[in-house]
Order: sequence, then C-alpha cells, then structure tokens
Amino acid sequence: MSWQHYIVIGNGPAGNQAAFTLREKAPEARITIISGNVGGSFRPHLLPDFIAGKIPEESLFVVTPDRYKEKEITFRHGQRVVKLDPNEKTVILDHKEVISFDGLIIAVGGKPRIPEHLHSFEGLMLTLKTVEDAHVWISRLAGVDSILLIGGDLTSLAVTKALLHLQKKVYLMLTEHAFWPLRPDEALFAEVSDRLACRGVEVLGGEIRKIVPSPPGDSFTVQFNHRPDLQVGLVGAFYGLSPEIDFLRRSGFRMDRGILVDEYLNTGFEGVYATGDCAQIYHPGLRNYWVSIGHANAVTLGKVAANNLLGGKSQVTVPTESVFELEEINVNTSWWMEF
Amino acid sequence: MSENPIFSREPEDFYYMDRNVPCQGACPASTNIPAYIRALFEGRYGDSYEINRMANILPGVLGRICSRPCEDKCRHGEPELGKPVSICHIKRTAADHREDRSAPPYSSFPDTGKQVAIIGSGPTGLAAAHDLRSIGVSVTLFEALDRPGGMLAYGIPPFRLPRSVLEEEINDIMSLGVTLKTGVRVGRDVEMQTLLSQYDALLLATGCYTPKPLNIPGETLPGVFPGLTFMMDICAGKAPPLGKRVLVLGAGFTAFDCARSALRLGAEKATICLRRTEEDLTVTGDEILETKREGITISTLMVSTRILGKEHVEAVEFLRTQPGEQRPDGKKEVSAIPGSGFVLAADTVIMAIGQGPGPLEVPGVQDGRIPLETDKGSTTFPVRGLYAAGDYVTGPSTVIEAIAAGRRAAGRIAQDLTGKKSRERVVRLQGSKTTDRKRTWDFIPRQEMPMITSTVERIKTPAPEVETGYSREQGQEEAKRCYLCYLHYEIDLERCIYCRYCIDVAPRDCIRMVEAIKLNEAGAIVGFAETAEWRDVNAIVIDNERCIRCGECRRVCPVDCISVTRVELVERVSNGRE
Repeated sequence: MSWQHYIVIGNGPAGNQAAFTLREKAPEARITIISGNVGGSFRPHLLPDFIAGKIPEESLFVVTPDRYKEKEITFRHGQRVVKLDPNEKTVILDHKEVISFDGLIIAVGGKPRIPEHLHSFEGLMLTLKTVEDAHVWISRLAGVDSILLIGGDLTSLAVTKALLHLQKKVYLMLTEHAFWPLRPDEALFAEVSDRLACRGVEVLGGEIRKIVPSPPGDSFTVQFNHRPDLQVGLVGAFYGLSPEIDFLRRSGFRMDRGILVDEYLNTGFEGVYATGDCAQIYHPGLRNYWVSIGHANAVTLGKVAANNLLGGKSQVTVPTESVFELEEINVNTSWWMEF
Repeated sequence: MSENPIFSREPEDFYYMDRNVPCQGACPASTNIPAYIRALFEGRYGDSYEINRMANILPGVLGRICSRPCEDKCRHGEPELGKPVSICHIKRTAADHREDRSAPPYSSFPDTGKQVAIIGSGPTGLAAAHDLRSIGVSVTLFEALDRPGGMLAYGIPPFRLPRSVLEEEINDIMSLGVTLKTGVRVGRDVEMQTLLSQYDALLLATGCYTPKPLNIPGETLPGVFPGLTFMMDICAGKAPPLGKRVLVLGAGFTAFDCARSALRLGAEKATICLRRTEEDLTVTGDEILETKREGITISTLMVSTRILGKEHVEAVEFLRTQPGEQRPDGKKEVSAIPGSGFVLAADTVIMAIGQGPGPLEVPGVQDGRIPLETDKGSTTFPVRGLYAAGDYVTGPSTVIEAIAAGRRAAGRIAQDLTGKKSRERVVRLQGSKTTDRKRTWDFIPRQEMPMITSTVERIKTPAPEVETGYSREQGQEEAKRCYLCYLHYEIDLERCIYCRYCIDVAPRDCIRMVEAIKLNEAGAIVGFAETAEWRDVNAIVIDNERCIRCGECRRVCPVDCISVTRVELVERVSNGRE
C-alpha cells in the first residue's frame, strides 16, 4: 500500500538488504533508513587497509547515498535513534524529531566490545568499527612507533598486518578471547603465534592489570600480572562486537544479549522486526539462544525480516553444527570463511 | 516570590514536587536530593550529610549500598541528556568528607514519658528508634543476634559495606539515648506478651530471615546452601567450605553478594543463573559491572528444575526460559521452553531466591498471618500497642524502603501515644535571585567511582572495600551535573512581551506556546494545549517537567519576566497540627 512507511534502523549489510528487499517487494512504499554513520554503507573489513594507506577512503563504501536515491529510499545519515515506542510506532532521534512508522526493522549491528575487567581503561584504548574510528587511528599513529593490540579478535590480525605495513612495532596480546568470534584450539593458537612472531610481532600472554597514560599523554605504560611493564604509544582493544541496543532499554522489548525475536525475526510487537547481529533467536536443536555474525548471515537475515514485515512467513534456520559457544553466547558466523 | 520562605500544604504543590523533582519523588524516604547536592557543591559537607540524615538516617551506609531508585528517575539520564547524576556517590562523599563527626544532638523534644520496645535492629528498627527517641520517647531495641544492624550487618559483605561505617552510624543513633539489648530473641528469651505489658507500644521489625525453598528435588543435598544463610555465616566469621564451581540461583543483591563472596572464599568459577535477563535485574548497573569485572558469569533465561548428585551436589538441571508479556509490576512473565533441558556441573549451589518473615507468635494474630491492612509498609494489629513495619510486613525490600517504613511506623506510634503528630511534610517555597547553575556544567561527564581495579587485589586481600570513594574535587564536579530540579522557572505573563528569545535559546523543547493550561482537580498543571498558530497563543509557559534548569531563558529575557523559585519538600515539627 502506497501510504505505508517502513523504517530501517542501521545501514549495514542486514539493514541495506532489508531496505532493498522492501523496495523490491513494495515499490510504492515510503522507505527510510536511519543510520548514525555518516556517508554510505562501508566494508568494515577494509578499514585496516585504509589505515595502512593501501586503499583510498572512497573504496570503503559499497552503498553510496546516490544508490539509496536511485532506489527512492530516504537515507538519514549521521542521525541517531535515542528512543523507540513500538506501541505508538514512533522513533525519536537525538535532535528530538519524532518519526512515525507502519513497519520497522532494527538492524543496528554491533559496537566494539570491551570486557568488564577493562572498563576502567576504556577511554585509553582505541577501537575500530567505523570510518571515523579509522580516521582516529590514522591521526594517532602519526606520532607513535609502538602499538599494543589486546583481545586478539580477527580484526586485530588485519590491523596487525596494517601496522607492520606502516613499519610500526606491534605487540599483540593473545588471550582466551583471541580470534573472536572463533574459539581457538591450542594448535591454531600456536600456529598463529609462530607466524606472527616470524613477521616481527611480539606475541604476549598474561593479564593486564592497569593502563596508565604517561605525561605528557603521548604514550602509555601497561602494567601486567606476572610480566614487566610495557611502554607503548597506543593501545588498541579488539574483543569483537556486542549488539548496540542500549537505546532500546525500557522500551518494552525483550532483550538479552541482543533483541529476543522469534524464528520469524519478530520482536513480539506487530510490524517490528530485528535482524542481523542484533537479533537473538532460540534454537530448539541447541536448546539455547544464538546470535549471528558476518556479512553473508546479515544479508540472509535482512531479507527474511523484510519478507516477513510484508506478510511473509519465512523462518530463520541454521544448522546446529555451524553455531558454537563463546563466553556463554552461541554464535553463528559466516565471518571466518570470509576472513 | 518573596525571598522569605513560605510553607504550603496545598495538594497541587505536593503534586508538583512529585512530578518535577523526580529524584526526591522516587526516594522512599523523600530525601531532599537537590539540596544536599547543592550543599556539597558549596563545600558544606556536614550540611549535606545532615540533610541526608534527617530523611534517611544512615547516609554513610546508603551512600554505599542504596538501590538508587532516584538515579533511575534522574532527569540527566533522559535519552538525549546523558547519564544520571551519581546521586548515591555524592551522598557517600558527604559522609566521607564531613569534618564534624560528632554524634547528632540529643532529643530536642521534652521527654514524653512513653516507652516503646522495638524488636529487630535492622534498618527499619534503627530508623524507628531514631525518630521515636528524637521526639522524647524512651526506646529499647531488642536484637536476637550478637550485633545490631540486621541485614546490614549480616546480609551485606564488608567489601561493599565496611563495618566501621555501619557501626559509626548505629552508634550515632544509640547516642540519642536508645537502649540496645543484643542476643535477646523474642519468644525464646522474652515473651512478646511480657513486652506488651511493660511498654506503651511494641514495634515488630524483625525483617525476613527465613530462606524460601526452591521446591525442586535435590535442594537438601550437601553442598547446597540458602543464600541468606550463606551470607550470614560469612558475616559471622563462619564461612562454609566451597567447591571450585559455584552456581548461584537468584537475581537480587543477595545472589550477587553470594557470588562475589564465593570468589573471595576460593571458588574458581562462579555463575549467577537468572530466570530472566540482565535487563530485568533490579540490582544497580554498577553492581552488575563489578560482578562481571571480577570474572563472574551471568547466565540468563534459565530455570532450575532439579539438583543432581548422590552424596553431594554434582550438577543442576535447567530448562531454558522465554520472556512473555509485561506484568503490572514491570517485570516480564517468563515461561520454561518444553524440551529445552540442559545440565550444568557444580560443586556448590547457592539458592538466593528470597526470604520471608520467620515464624513468630504474635498476640491477636491467628495462623501467624499478618493483617493485610497496611500503611505503606507498617501496620497495627488487633492488639492495643502492637505495630509492625518493614520487611516483616512487606516481604524483602530495599534498605531505603525499610528505613522509610521504620520512619512511618514511628510517626504512627508517636501520634497514637501522644495524640498529636510530631512531624509533617510541607512544601517550602523561596524566591531565588540567581539560577545557581552554568550551562557548561550540563556537559561534564559523569565522574566514575574510583575503585580497586585489580581483581587479584580485591579477592586476595582480606575484605577491602572495592569502591574507594570520590575525592572532594570529584564529588564537587559530580555535584555540578545536578540540574537542581528544585528550582522552578516561571514566566510572568503580565510582563512577557512574547519576543520568543527564550524559546530560541532553550536547549530543549521546554518552553511552549499554548492556548490553554490543563489543570487537575487539585489545581496542579498536568499538561498544555499547544498551538503553532500565533493568533491562538494565550501564553508562553515553561514546562518544568522538561526544563533542565540551564538558566538560558532567564539570561536572555529582555524584560526580566522569568522568575526562579526554590521549591522543596521538607519535614518540620508540626506543633501537633493534623
């Protein structure tokens, strides 16, 4: 129906796929994408190459604002949803604008995850999720020679390559969190450690006790349990992602690690769906809930959410064997294969 | 508004306070939060502490372990405004840095000649004792355990509440002239009927000390402990031996205290198992964060169905759960998912699912049932002079709710004994020349509580307090963030020239062009009929529920038609007025 207004929050692969599917199947509908990111949709896995100077910024983007225009999708970028009322069917943006919708797909993806034991030092560590984050890395790297990367998720391995390309000294701390979202076995751990060491990376173990900025603020002293202090110019935290759903608190949604949805990706509110990395779904085979990570999964889930918003009854299915447990969370990932 | 204060008992003013000073409205003890924050900002730590103490009796204790309902309602925490003010931490700052640590003054009231016995020296009993003694009633506190404080002394671990802080504030109450008898269990050492005959009134404030069972197979196996018993044993210096893997079943403060204490007793892995999700937890966000920081796992959406083991607990069987509709109390219904069973191994299981009042033979009460007619947490029995309050009446509540209940019970008892009210709540209004605040203060980030960050240091050192407290400078910086919602902004329509400068500078949609103002039956403003049509505008008004008291409107007003009034809900001596 031509007067229907569908809103998609987020313009990652799940959000884009949802919006494009809605456009394809509901050509007359009004469709709006709201995204906190400025510019179009980008490839996050290319950010390390951008930091290394291997590719220009333009090549990061896969869906430009013009593409949304072509498809007659209103693209509100650089705008953040701060509140959502699923009963009144309204979203409130951070500049206080209230927008009504007939159907909504939440595809907000994840934000960099910092483990609780490091929360005190959050402001001292760099993360890498957005193009803006990459710009911060580029500007800060100009004045430093050595960098400690902690966490050891897959992005950190790509950043390590970028930093070596820039001829920086890299310390990589591999812990039990390493290779997130994969669970490493000893063989993988040893192989990656050896290969990194061959390329000049100093691989560290242990546990961080404290990060102290050294005056005048251009370096950090990292204190460990059971090993000597380390002086570095930058510290980067790479512990994977967690759903960015804080703005939904107290909105009546059922939320756990992500937004709890049924197998049709419905949130329990009529016409309101969640998809991509922020959706959490019960799996009868696993007897547990699972979340999803990776471009291919996001595209699939985005399509399912859009179909179902338009009256379809597509179920999300995932083989039990492709889901693994990580820190109490069951994850289905297509990322490792892509990596 | 005059600079001389006036006092109001008008219902619309109480309505205004409840809606417009949300922190104070959310505090069960109605603590005048903006006033104590302002006092602290001005460096008057002792005054800040006293403003607290007048309402909540135990500021040093509450500054550490309060459940902080005020912060949930703080206007600074509204979506586009950032994080709520750390009200609780500021309270603690006042307690930590006050210079005058002398005991509060002895009763300023003449002796009434009345005697009241209070059974139970937890927060309810202590608050009631404080209030009764301070109006000249003679009070004797009976405590069954060795030390006073109830749950504060036996249910909360020292790493959250150092005993020196608790003892200091209990001593302050005792210094009013309260008689304390510890190790006296009513029903065993003395009969309630005897006390009723010896005292003019008797208040039951015995709290909830009987752990609730899970009613599932295996809960009597060795290695399974009720959460409260576990905590009380630790606080009494009789910690039980634990296994390496500890599962805690429960979602309240006790469950979190049990898990954190288990780590300190040598457990290698502790897991808190929730029926619902973290979103539904009632413990504070800081508590959740610190618990995780110590390496404790919080597992969600699971309900225990059986505890497994032969000679000793070996594992717990669970079903997955799914949240359903929201109940009137705000919690979501939760149901088990059929066929979702799974097992978690455990060497120790702690059941922290709550507790109820213990068995007590109460005169005039059949079947041990408490009369349901309550006055927000206090009640009278069909026996003359017998009252009850706090958790014993309501079931487990928070410390601040228990204190508020004790104070209400004291007011009721005093009125019954003397035939007149001793205190009353009124709204105090006083004109204010300055706005007190700077707009730039709205952008100050929330000051994080300094604490021992090393998990090893926390766990291995004997009972250090994890949170180490704000410095004076941090406390004052955090105090600047408070909007001071007790300031009421108002446009004088007879002087307003409708220039709309105020609307242009307002950082929020708090100044409205309206056709009409909606009032309720009490005459309080409950809404506005706004209009965008200039010819329909009958007034430009400030919506104080949206206003963040930045003062910008007043600064730009060319005709100085915006006034500021300091509006406070306060307690004062009532002179027997009904």
